[in-house]
Amino acid sequence: MKMQVLFLTSILSAVFIFGFFNNVFADESKQRVFDYANLLSDDEIARLENLAFQHGKEHEMDFIIVTTQDADGKDIRPFIEDFYDEMAFGFDKPHGNSAILALDMSERDVMIAGFYKGEKYLDDQRATLIREKITPRLSSGNYFEAFTQYIELSSEYMEYMPGVNPDSFLLKTWFHLLAAIGVAGLIVGSMAYNSGGKVTVNERTYTGNFQVLERKDIYLTKSVTKRRKPQNNNKGGGGGGVTSGGHSYSGSRGKF
Amino acid sequence: MVIQYKCPNCGDDMAFDSESGKLSCGSCGRTDAIEGFSDEFITTRFSDDEAKEYVCNNCGASVITDADTSATSCSFCGAAVVLADRVSGIHAPDKVIPFQISKEEAIQAFKKWCKNGRLTPKGFMSADRIKGITGIYVPFWLYDLHSVANVNARATRVREYTQGNYIYTETKYYDVHRKIDLTFNKVPVDASEKMNDDLMDKLEPYDYGSLKDFKTPYLAGYLAEKYNYNNKDLFPRVKSKVSGYIDKYISSTISGYSSVRYEEKRVNTKETNAHYVLLPVWMVYYDYDKQEHTFAMNGVNGKVVGKPPLSMAKVSAWFGSIAAATFITAKILTLIVGGDIW
Repeated sequence: MKMQVLFLTSILSAVFIFGFFNNVFADESKQRVFDYANLLSDDEIARLENLAFQHGKEHEMDFIIVTTQDADGKDIRPFIEDFYDEMAFGFDKPHGNSAILALDMSERDVMIAGFYKGEKYLDDQRATLIREKITPRLSSGNYFEAFTQYIELSSEYMEYMPGVNPDSFLLKTWFHLLAAIGVAGLIVGSMAYNSGGKVTVNERTYTGNFQVLERKDIYLTKSVTKRRKPQNNNKGGGGGGVTSGGHSYSGSRGKF
Repeated sequence: MVIQYKCPNCGDDMAFDSESGKLSCGSCGRTDAIEGFSDEFITTRFSDDEAKEYVCNNCGASVITDADTSATSCSFCGAAVVLADRVSGIHAPDKVIPFQISKEEAIQAFKKWCKNGRLTPKGFMSADRIKGITGIYVPFWLYDLHSVANVNARATRVREYTQGNYIYTETKYYDVHRKIDLTFNKVPVDASEKMNDDLMDKLEPYDYGSLKDFKTPYLAGYLAEKYNYNNKDLFPRVKSKVSGYIDKYISSTISGYSSVRYEEKRVNTKETNAHYVLLPVWMVYYDYDKQEHTFAMNGVNGKVVGKPPLSMAKVSAWFGSIAAATFITAKILTLIVGGDIW
């Protein structure tokens, strides 16, 4: 009897601990900034960790930053893939919702990749937008500011519906004003124009009999031109892929 | 010479009644069918001298008219008179559509129309300053036309397909030829110099089912004009009126191509028939804000045309509310897709 109780408690505590373990991924103590290239001070790392935690909690995301001197001799794309497979980032579960910003100092490569919710909400287009916005700061060596901007922009863009370009002019107030004036002008203009009465006859009003007497369609010649299919991976821009661990991602890479 | 219609009962002047479609006497109520009246005046030719001055048979006053007027009323005693020499010989109309809307109905219809104006000033909408309303038979030519169109065009059909690493664009060229036969029936063109062509074009269509053989009594009680332009003069105008319809039909017969470039388009339009007809129009003169506005109403179906004044207040109100609604909608859509309000 006593043994049974002990057995049960141990099972319960195992379940409890496992459950707790699960929650650990959302924990503040988790590391999200991996500064292998030593670009940041301890204080900056702490502030970025905090920022990543705050914004991550809001979107159920892990915002990861990794800097490396030589990317273990790999290209930045396999580096980021392997890094994700190995570290199993994810807010909700291992290999879950994440966004990774990777910096390769020797090649001066920068890449942003989104996994799961990150793939959906930080698609290639948005990843490219973020990368292009932080590149000037990276180039001038303001790494802390660039990383801060990466977290804040990602967090902001994730509020938009997937597929919407957050920087689109369609969402800008000046466009809304212009559209409002345009639509109103068009409607009121046509109202004023038509206030004097419209022509209400058309070709059918007076049509007697229309018929085609002769109809010839002679094929003369044809010309064929060809052009190369546009390549998807042009000069670093967008493009995701699948890691060797089988996790699909979105992404954007470039130089800084 | 003038024609006046005297009531066989009481001797008063009779006038055309739009409701019954008959000649009716205002005093005793007698009505006479028009179909039975003789055509003697229409076939008569008058010498030029005779057409200088008209004298009212009732009161002997001279009937003062414009050079183009063919029916009017005596300015002294108000009797309806038809100027016979102006509706006879070469000026004899073939057909007429009698008025089907009476003066009272016309006024009511006009008032109703004014109320519907979404941009017209409030003071205008009450329609209480109608200065005058006149029923006029406006001369029109109704053309029956026969056109033959010969069209040569170069057309292309473009297809895109992918093979391997290349995208191929295949353009096929065709020589297209069409010979098209088109007939048009009773296309109206206003033959009066005084009437604004745009206004008259908008009044269409008229119900040709109610076309009647012309008899002078139809004009009794109304104004009527005789044509200033004959069917030869107006032929270019009717041609331009149907040319748009012809072009539309031609392009509808050349379908299934990506692009069509016309190399030759020969349209030969011939007049098969031209009927001189009088069509009923109510002219409404309306004073508003020290300006006279002229409107025309189709005397058969009551369609009103003419530019009403615009109220700046109403224009701005409409503009403002549509703009605001559009702006708010745009903002709501932005919020829905996740954007910020500003």
